[in-house]
Amino acid sequence: MSNLSRREFIAKSAGVGIAASSLILSRKLAADDEWTLVVVKNGSPAQLVRQAIETLGGMSRFVKKGNTVLIKPNIGWDRLPEQAANTNPDEVAEVVKMCKEAGAKRVRVLDRTCNQARRCYKRSGIEAASKKAGAEVRHIVKSRFETVRIPGGELVKSWPFYRDALEADVFINMPIAKDHSISRVTLGFKNIMGIIGGDRGQIHKDFMTKIVDLNLAIKPALTIIDAYRVLLRNGPSGGNLADVAVKKTVIAGTDPVAVDSYAMGLFDIDPTKVEYLRDATQRGLGQMDLSKVKMKVVDLSA
Amino acid sequence: MRTARRISQIFFLLFFLFLFFQARYPYETWLPSDLFLRASPLVAIATILATRKVIASVLIAFIILLLTIPLGRFFCGWICPLGTIIDGSDNLIKRKKRKPRQRESTRFRSWKFAILAAVLVASLFSVQFIWFFDPIALLTRTITTVLYPVFSFLLLGLFNFSFSTRLFEDQVYSAYDIAQNSILPIAQPMFFEAVLIALVFVGILALGMVTRRFWCRNLCPLGALLGLFSKFRLTKRYVDETCNSCSICQRECKMNAIEDDYAVNNTVECIECMECVSNCKPHSVSYKFGKNIGKNEIDLSKRRFIQAAAVGLAGVAIAKTSAVSREKTGQAIRPPGAVKEDGFLDRCIRCQECVRICATTGGTLQPSFLQSGWEGIWTPISVPRLGYCEYNCNLCGQVCPTGAIQNLTMEKKQKLKMGIAYFDKSRCIPWYDQQDCLVCEEHCPTPDKAIKFDIREARTPEGSMRTVKFPYVDEKLCIGCGICVTKCPVIGDPGIFVTNAQAERIEV
Repeated sequence: MSNLSRREFIAKSAGVGIAASSLILSRKLAADDEWTLVVVKNGSPAQLVRQAIETLGGMSRFVKKGNTVLIKPNIGWDRLPEQAANTNPDEVAEVVKMCKEAGAKRVRVLDRTCNQARRCYKRSGIEAASKKAGAEVRHIVKSRFETVRIPGGELVKSWPFYRDALEADVFINMPIAKDHSISRVTLGFKNIMGIIGGDRGQIHKDFMTKIVDLNLAIKPALTIIDAYRVLLRNGPSGGNLADVAVKKTVIAGTDPVAVDSYAMGLFDIDPTKVEYLRDATQRGLGQMDLSKVKMKVVDLSA
Repeated sequence: MRTARRISQIFFLLFFLFLFFQARYPYETWLPSDLFLRASPLVAIATILATRKVIASVLIAFIILLLTIPLGRFFCGWICPLGTIIDGSDNLIKRKKRKPRQRESTRFRSWKFAILAAVLVASLFSVQFIWFFDPIALLTRTITTVLYPVFSFLLLGLFNFSFSTRLFEDQVYSAYDIAQNSILPIAQPMFFEAVLIALVFVGILALGMVTRRFWCRNLCPLGALLGLFSKFRLTKRYVDETCNSCSICQRECKMNAIEDDYAVNNTVECIECMECVSNCKPHSVSYKFGKNIGKNEIDLSKRRFIQAAAVGLAGVAIAKTSAVSREKTGQAIRPPGAVKEDGFLDRCIRCQECVRICATTGGTLQPSFLQSGWEGIWTPISVPRLGYCEYNCNLCGQVCPTGAIQNLTMEKKQKLKMGIAYFDKSRCIPWYDQQDCLVCEEHCPTPDKAIKFDIREARTPEGSMRTVKFPYVDEKLCIGCGICVTKCPVIGDPGIFVTNAQAERIEV
């Protein structure tokens, strides 16, 4: 019951009211009619993710009672939330809460960082917020990577992946949408680099093919792109507030290609021109053509 | 008394180690981790002599010096963590049995005065050798570069083994997290010069095979300095008429400070350990306040003093005239906030506090070898291929005991140039291989990236044309933090390197 009242509360405060609640109810009645991609705009970070997941069918669609969950935000940089180099901490915390509400036995949050890990975990605000929400926030241990064979891999035939990501019942990918000089932007596909071991520098050569290879090895049940604040220039580490645009958007979905494809629009990039999205669609990882995707846009300010 | 002394020794050793563990990110503590270093009167006198400036941070050392006047060398016997370790190791070493009443030789004990004279004369001429000998700096250096890495290697090994067995995995992971938040490093620290530094330490402990506290008796210039001040001490060792001249006190004296007349001790050598009180069967020995009647001569003749001073001067001359290649000096990239090189070398006591705390963040600092000449051996330099200077970090300046690295505000530090990065176009992937890479640009931390790139058409080795992003450095923006070098994926020599060109050094 408390679950329902919380949903109502959020819905009301978000100004969606009855429309949203009936939408949620209708989702529950017709499971085969589920959305693949949901975009929520204009709310607080926590409202945005909660609404996105509710619209997708609620967390219970992904997390069953007693499941172990691994949430992989971007915690790569020793930067503040306002600098938009890491995933929004309130969004991560809200997803942790929702996993717990759905009955998850254990929710772990971790990332292989670029700057020193303790600094990143701390300054990003993700460690504190996730812990408060009930997650285990863990640091990467070198000896816990396990080499995975990638049968469909073109250039990467095998690569070490973090044990926790491989073994979790539910793997949730939570990137932040950022400018990135190598891949133009960094979204869900690129975020997978935070759970791989080995010499990541080697991936940057023939990046577009290798990133698809890596995504063959592990597929998130749910990808949630944080676009509350978007770093438009000087990514992926940023640091200059002038490069940050507040877009108050969250893009969530079960199809990692569709999610990334939609997010390209935030940077005015035509997804059909993005090599890895074409490649990933061809290799059957998802659908980049959004006209073929069951998509729903919710505007909380409307 | 013996128990009290041992408790004090163990307390201060643990306190020393506790302070050592404080020196880690985020370093939010009210207890400065460099407290012992700042309390060493030798460090204080030598750095003040060399810089001819009052260095406020080391002034607390004079409390120890003043207390030595009435109390004698209590620091050596009751506090010095190196002394405690030597005591511990001496207890494990078996020495040749001496014949009854055969006193150990006092031949070498003047050396420590000679060493003190030589290093202070050198300090006076602004060449610092004190860092090699100061016991606190020596121990901090050894723990940082040798003992702690070994400790962490073993503990990490234990964790890795546990993870591989997969037994109690969740509990082990929790324990790992707690350990890593307190005593484990973020990554296994590894240091250049560790072998050399270890050899010095092992050598000092091994001298215990000759006599107990060989280092303290014969070599330690801090002990010598405190000995000079303890000439006037106000406690006296009193032997009453019940003494049966058994010679136990002389035999068991760690410092060989008891003369042939057992009632007379050499107060310059005595470290107030009170073993003689505890060991005396008839309870004839006691310590009382009063004018000291002991022998208190310093075993350094004028001739030896002049010899020592000459050795010190020769050291100055050799250090100042030995050549260093310019490639090497360019690699001597100092930590952000380092004072100008001359002052830096005067102040740096090679304690490796900065290296220690840096290893818990970016991990760029290493004890140097000859990059800044013989004079600069074991001073901290940035080795960007191994680690980089964290943009949001100014911890090295916070833990430096002598102000060789100034404590900068974050804002100032983030703009301060340690050096400049240069591309090596014969190795950088886009320049050499006409392929995109830009890992350096990705990691560049300045808000307006110092690494920029041009997008141009380039001919591939196969003959076709391709659009490639060619990186270059904007030297106005580059602060020489070195993360580009650390993260450069090129195997072997990187495609980008940093020199100390344009380094901004602090004037004090």
